[in-house]
Amino acid sequence: MRGLLRRHGSALLLTAVGAALLRISLFSELYLRYVKEGLRPLLVIAGVVLVLLGLSALLPHRRPRREHRPDPGHTHTHGGARPHRGPRSAWLLAVPALLLLLAAPPALGSFIVARDGSGTIARQVDFPRLPPHGTLSLSLSEFAARAVWDPAESLRSRTVRLTGFVTPGGAGSWRLSRIIVSCCAADARAVAVTVHGPAAPPDNTWVVVTGSWDPGSTAPTLDVTALRVVPAPKNPYRDLPPAG
Amino acid sequence: MIEESSGAARLEQLPPRPAAGLPLPGAEVRVGAGAGRVLRLLIRVCGLTVLGGFAALIIGVGTLLLGPFLVEWLDQPGFEAWRTVLVAVAIQGMPFLLLGTVVSAAISAFVPARLLTRVLPANPVLAVPVAGAAGALLPGCECASVPVAAGLMRRGVAPAAALAFLLSAPAINPVVLVATSIAFPGRPEMVLARLLASLGASLAMGWLWLRLGRPEWLRLPPSPADDAEPGHRWDTFLSTLRHDFLHAGGFMVAGAAAAATFNIAVPPSLLQLFSAHPWLSVPLLGALAVVLSICSEADAFVAASLSGFSMTARLAFVVVGPTVDLKLIALQAGTFGWAFAARFSAATFVIGVLCSAVVGGWLL
Repeated sequence: MRGLLRRHGSALLLTAVGAALLRISLFSELYLRYVKEGLRPLLVIAGVVLVLLGLSALLPHRRPRREHRPDPGHTHTHGGARPHRGPRSAWLLAVPALLLLLAAPPALGSFIVARDGSGTIARQVDFPRLPPHGTLSLSLSEFAARAVWDPAESLRSRTVRLTGFVTPGGAGSWRLSRIIVSCCAADARAVAVTVHGPAAPPDNTWVVVTGSWDPGSTAPTLDVTALRVVPAPKNPYRDLPPAG
Repeated sequence: MIEESSGAARLEQLPPRPAAGLPLPGAEVRVGAGAGRVLRLLIRVCGLTVLGGFAALIIGVGTLLLGPFLVEWLDQPGFEAWRTVLVAVAIQGMPFLLLGTVVSAAISAFVPARLLTRVLPANPVLAVPVAGAAGALLPGCECASVPVAAGLMRRGVAPAAALAFLLSAPAINPVVLVATSIAFPGRPEMVLARLLASLGASLAMGWLWLRLGRPEWLRLPPSPADDAEPGHRWDTFLSTLRHDFLHAGGFMVAGAAAAATFNIAVPPSLLQLFSAHPWLSVPLLGALAVVLSICSEADAFVAASLSGFSMTARLAFVVVGPTVDLKLIALQAGTFGWAFAARFSAATFVIGVLCSAVVGGWLL
């Protein structure tokens, strides 16, 4: 087993990393838990290249001349005593590869929202006109920005429909939250709206709520009259208004 | 322990040893030596059995006692989020790291050294700005630039010029500048400030290396292509690519783990405490960029959300981030050695903060 790992370690690692990338990008949409949508083609290409690269290490190949000859100028060896041995650090690549192949970590949720604390809303000055009648389906960011920054108070006395996941809040209320990612989950930002009304479903449950803006509070707040549990969206990090 | 060479080739390098069963001069000596050997073997076997038994016992009992806690700990939301961020940083960087190592291996295997030295000015003082401006050509995140810079150095490009390229490529490429303009709508001066401060910092670092850098700090990976023959170029390309990707990839995962730890452990609300100090906030946001290790295509969006801070401090965030962060320090340490990574990152941080302060004070 050890000899096998030694001889075919690079092949094994490269293939495993490639297979992990393909599993999350080509054979499923798990990659949406970690990175932005636009990265999918790059992940697929990288996965294919890595699998081929790993397989190519198994083929018998002509050895370049340098392997037969000591390299006089080099005091450096990679991590081990002998030259031309791959680095031991490379085994760290097995951590994300195995995690993705065996137990893909879940999408970020209410832990990150709670950690984010205040959840300041970026200042916005320009608000397009809302449709004059009917229920407004808004993204959480748009609702929050209008609630905090809109001088015309365009949300006043309107019925609003929002979607997001449940995050615990203060006494007698909870928060409807979304996490927005621009590139990968490391740059996650949270948006949260305080909800008054129905009892909170369990943490991280995705819901669609209908209600009206509470202009009295400083934080964006919704007085909810109706709540519906929905399945988690395909892309958890894209702040879209609820469908329908 | 990954081995590219076969076991047989390695055995040949070992010094010859006397074969075990050869008759030795003197019967007593032979019996004594044989008994001693058997005794030593017995002791070793017993020792190993006892040690192994103890280890198995400790592991067994430990698993039984701690198992439930371990499972609970694995299920903690904080640890769960840590794993998600670690995996996210690693797979986000993976395609770009692969692109970087492919370009680097191709430079090593296929580009004649003469070509590069002909394109760049022979005088390193002039080669630095040319290489720095060429950084705009490599789209993608910082993971790609480290292996490419190493490939350029292996091919005889002056280290100062390759380092200027390493720093400027992730910061001033068109994708990053467009992302910055989207993140700061109605503030085109932010894009200009980012371009000028990042380019200025890259060139300053290149020239600083010319003045102060010592070759012994820079441990270049061996160049497999030094003696590549035409017929072996593909083999050279593939083996360089495999080796470089695995090597850099391992370090990138280490950097991603460190970044994920800070990402989960440092609450952003803590930062708001410092936003009132105009001068303290500039190096502070620079330091935040180092520990968060956000890729250069996305850092402008995070900077835009740091609304309590001055524009100059946010400029420091996007100037320092693509040039010094935990992921990059790990990658540089893996590629060029710790002696280089520590000095270079510290100097780049200081220069990056200074450039941001100057350009920010002037433009923003």
